Amino acid sequence: MRHPAGHKDSRTSKRSPDRYDRPLSIGTRVPRIDAYAKVTGREKFAADYYGDDLVWAGVKRAGVPHARIEGIDLKRCREAPGVICALTHEHVAGTNRQGVIRKDQPVLADDKVRHCGDAIALVLAEDKESLERALSMVSMDLEPMPGVFDPEEALEENAPLVHEDHPGGNALLKGELQKGIGQAAAAECEVLLEGCFETSYQEHAYLETECGWAQQDEEGKLAIVCSTQTPFRDRMEVAEALGLDPVSVRIIAPYPGGAFGGKDGVTVQTLLGLAALHSGGRPVKMWWGREESFVAGTKRHPASMRYRLGAKWDGALHFLEAKLFFDTGPYDHLGGVVLTLALEHASGPYRIPNVKLEGYAVYTNNPVGGAFRGFGVPQVTGAVEQMMDMLAHRLSIDPVELRMKNALRRGDRSGVGKTLVSSTGLMECLDVVSKHPFWTDRDEWKSAAGPFKRRGVGMSAVMQASGYGPVVPDYANAKVELTQEGKIRVYCGVVDMGQGNASTNLQIAGSILAQTLEEMELVLPDTDRTLPSGSASASRCSYTFGNALIGAAETLKRRILQRAADLLMAQSADQLALVPGRVRCLGTGRELSLERMARLMDETERVAVHHFRAPVALDKLAVADDLRLHGMPHTLFSYGAHVTRVEVDELTGYVEVKDYLAVSDCGTVINPQIYEQQIHGGVAQGLGYVLMEDFRVTEGAVGTPNFATYLIPTAPDIQDIESIAVEIHEHTGPFGLKGVGEIATNGPLPAVSNAVADACGVRFDRFPLTPERVLMGMRTAEHGKESREYQLQTER
Amino acid sequence: MPLRDVFLPRTLDDLWDTLEQRPESMVYAGGTDLFVRLRSGSIAPPSLVCLERLNEIKGVRDEGEFLFIGAATTHGFLLAHPLTVEHFPILAKALAVLASPPVRHMGTIGGNIVNASPAGDTLPPLYVLDAEIEISSRREVRRMPLADFIFGPGEVLLGKGEILTGVRVKKLTNENVHHYEKVGLRKGQACAVASLAALLRLSPSGVVEEARLAWGSVGPTVVTLTEVEHALTGEVLSHDTLKGLIPLVRDNVSPIDDVRASAEYRRIVAGQLLLRLQQYRWGGP
Repeated sequence: MRHPAGHKDSRTSKRSPDRYDRPLSIGTRVPRIDAYAKVTGREKFAADYYGDDLVWAGVKRAGVPHARIEGIDLKRCREAPGVICALTHEHVAGTNRQGVIRKDQPVLADDKVRHCGDAIALVLAEDKESLERALSMVSMDLEPMPGVFDPEEALEENAPLVHEDHPGGNALLKGELQKGIGQAAAAECEVLLEGCFETSYQEHAYLETECGWAQQDEEGKLAIVCSTQTPFRDRMEVAEALGLDPVSVRIIAPYPGGAFGGKDGVTVQTLLGLAALHSGGRPVKMWWGREESFVAGTKRHPASMRYRLGAKWDGALHFLEAKLFFDTGPYDHLGGVVLTLALEHASGPYRIPNVKLEGYAVYTNNPVGGAFRGFGVPQVTGAVEQMMDMLAHRLSIDPVELRMKNALRRGDRSGVGKTLVSSTGLMECLDVVSKHPFWTDRDEWKSAAGPFKRRGVGMSAVMQASGYGPVVPDYANAKVELTQEGKIRVYCGVVDMGQGNASTNLQIAGSILAQTLEEMELVLPDTDRTLPSGSASASRCSYTFGNALIGAAETLKRRILQRAADLLMAQSADQLALVPGRVRCLGTGRELSLERMARLMDETERVAVHHFRAPVALDKLAVADDLRLHGMPHTLFSYGAHVTRVEVDELTGYVEVKDYLAVSDCGTVINPQIYEQQIHGGVAQGLGYVLMEDFRVTEGAVGTPNFATYLIPTAPDIQDIESIAVEIHEHTGPFGLKGVGEIATNGPLPAVSNAVADACGVRFDRFPLTPERVLMGMRTAEHGKESREYQLQTER
Repeated sequence: MPLRDVFLPRTLDDLWDTLEQRPESMVYAGGTDLFVRLRSGSIAPPSLVCLERLNEIKGVRDEGEFLFIGAATTHGFLLAHPLTVEHFPILAKALAVLASPPVRHMGTIGGNIVNASPAGDTLPPLYVLDAEIEISSRREVRRMPLADFIFGPGEVLLGKGEILTGVRVKKLTNENVHHYEKVGLRKGQACAVASLAALLRLSPSGVVEEARLAWGSVGPTVVTLTEVEHALTGEVLSHDTLKGLIPLVRDNVSPIDDVRASAEYRRIVAGQLLLRLQQYRWGGP
């Protein structure tokens, strides 16, 4: 089929004015291939697709959290000027259901409304203005139903049901797990602390809101260009929901303008597909506005967490208990998987012999909880790392020392009993922190606080699993081609949503084939051109695809060298080497250009593919089948330790993060610049989470509908972040790497909270730490009133 | 947003003609407040008149004892202007924390005044400076104190066919404390949750000889409290003096609860912000 309007066939490196003309190598700061095009506005994102004869599609949303749909009247809407058609669930020929594990989200709502953002009708119009007018003319007859908005209330016996057909009621997933003697170990502890923590929603707030472009061609093939992390999964979901053959659906995935998990799954895709089936062959565009993205997009799950942590007097951890409630909203947008990862990380990166975990992902009529960088781990890390600081305080042990005493090492068992077989560098990270001036000089720094300022220093230890766990195959299929022009073209199966993995792919293939960026080309994910390689998620992209890519690049290299050896009459391929643009015989100095080689090779020889499937845990753990299905346990983890220095204003409660250090064990560093960017971005997002991102929801309705009310950090709010890589070779990783995409986002909430507690002697149990919360907390503490913050109790 | 006519008059005479021909138009300069409301649909004027090309009401004019600031002067221009920095450091301090560089590049001082948000960053400094505003129409030019012009959130005494053309501020002579503090929920692009502008004349021994104070975001308009100013006058600028005035401030501001902060928080902070002034007793921060 022809390519959709404006979709470029391949992306070459001839865009950077600052040419990087050395052969690519591992561990070097190769400029990102996407940087120049992105900063100059030349990169074509999904939002940039228009084309002649364009149709605009948009959605009428419910606006109420829970209701029975009695009727949808589209008469006035259809008669409005510029309207092409208006569709409801009756026009959906397939299952009309989307989702990853439990397919419970309608494309267009049929029997009832389950949250304010539910799509009721899809309207196609000649232009944006007509579309907006027409959408306001959709008349909905909605019979309100009592809603559930609190996860714990939702689990009560007589709570209204979000999905009447779900056997578990409002509990989308319940997870329970015990290690050692579980709760019985509480009695054996010499100190036992309790804590309750509530974390808020977090909005992804990507620059590019959910968007896409679609067109059906004469042969019936449906092409969808969209901002997505999951093109191959989207193809199956769209086909199933709309009743199409997956082969007739093509998903093309340009670089998303940010995603962070919010595009891990279908957003506009099925709606666009449906629209394109009703546009008479015209191209269709859908682009959610910011307010619509806030209402209909997914969020980080708000969590309510109850903890008990027990230890011996010497600081050896003995027992941990956690009870977690994750508000997943009305649909299983990976909510069960998020909960499962939270449970797996709920005990932190520590050796704890006795653990009792219980968690619930709960259906409510609130906004949809879904994937977000860290994927359940930021919440529990926030809780357990504050518990660790409380314990250090109680035992008068240095917080870093307490963590070192209990830190997981290779061969230890994790909180869920998984034996750690991959590289485990937490101790090395803690060691760097313990010797860093932010930590060693903290008393001196604190005592230099100015008038009305209180200073505090806090730290946290973090871990993050990567990959899909033991059941869902975590695979990639790499494809590398020697083009007819003699260039090396890498077909990326995994989306680069900004992490930089597309550039890393070129670096990996280029280093194996000894080429410069000039000789490299890139094809971004496209279900018709690149090979299925899973989602851009779970800190897996460079690990899984990179391993596949090494295989493909090595294969192509062998083929080129072997053929060249034959042509140059060399004894064997060993006597030849690839150099930029050419093959050289080392003994004779004779050369062949890669262009020449390409012409001498058959089409089938010029393409090499390689499949890789990530190793999984082999442990036989007493983990329930549904937790295994949802990903427990993992086998590969990254680690880190963070320190921050904060200043709290006594007059306003404003918390200013003055310094931040993140030390990370994510294996070998392929590109120090991309690595740093991942750490910096993760920390910045984590700082927003702890300090200001306060997404409000009341009775299912969003109370912070835009960026004027939902605040994210601006440039002056983020200080320079120091990133130190503890490079420990991971033997299963490509060139020794592990995932770096998510881990940093787990550190700031506990590190800043611990620093604030250090500064003002108050521990907070609700987040974010807005100036008001901090000021009121300090006043309450000063007035000696019964603290409304967490209760610190010792049972012995 | 639906398409609509936008007029860009280049002289005041053109402007008066346009306003007569299109009386339902809304007038704007930078548009940094207006466009937010247009986009949200809370206003839907049939046409717009933009003042940004009216050179007659742009820029800063030295009038000897006074400085005249044209209404369509951008915050960025004003912040970089040597006369602002020389004569009105308090205004410069507020401009420096107003929104962000792009908004300062577009937004104007006239817009900040006419928008009349209690959170408008230039307003508390202009109140303590006793700024006088100039309102013009085809027929007349009238002047009045800024504090009389603004009578509620978004409410100003501007008649049909009138526009704000400028602000006249008396140059400072003896004041040696120019303080502006904005409490926002982040550093950049923040809307004030509370703010305090303070203009003081301090004796070498730290006694307050004259005090002008104005609070933002703790009432329907900027709040000035003469009783606090009087109570401060003649006193040493000490922690105890300032602390003693906190209850008076708390009792006399009338903040609201909104998504950014509770009224209680604003009330507490409005009082406590006074304490920051003690740093000037020994020569400033």
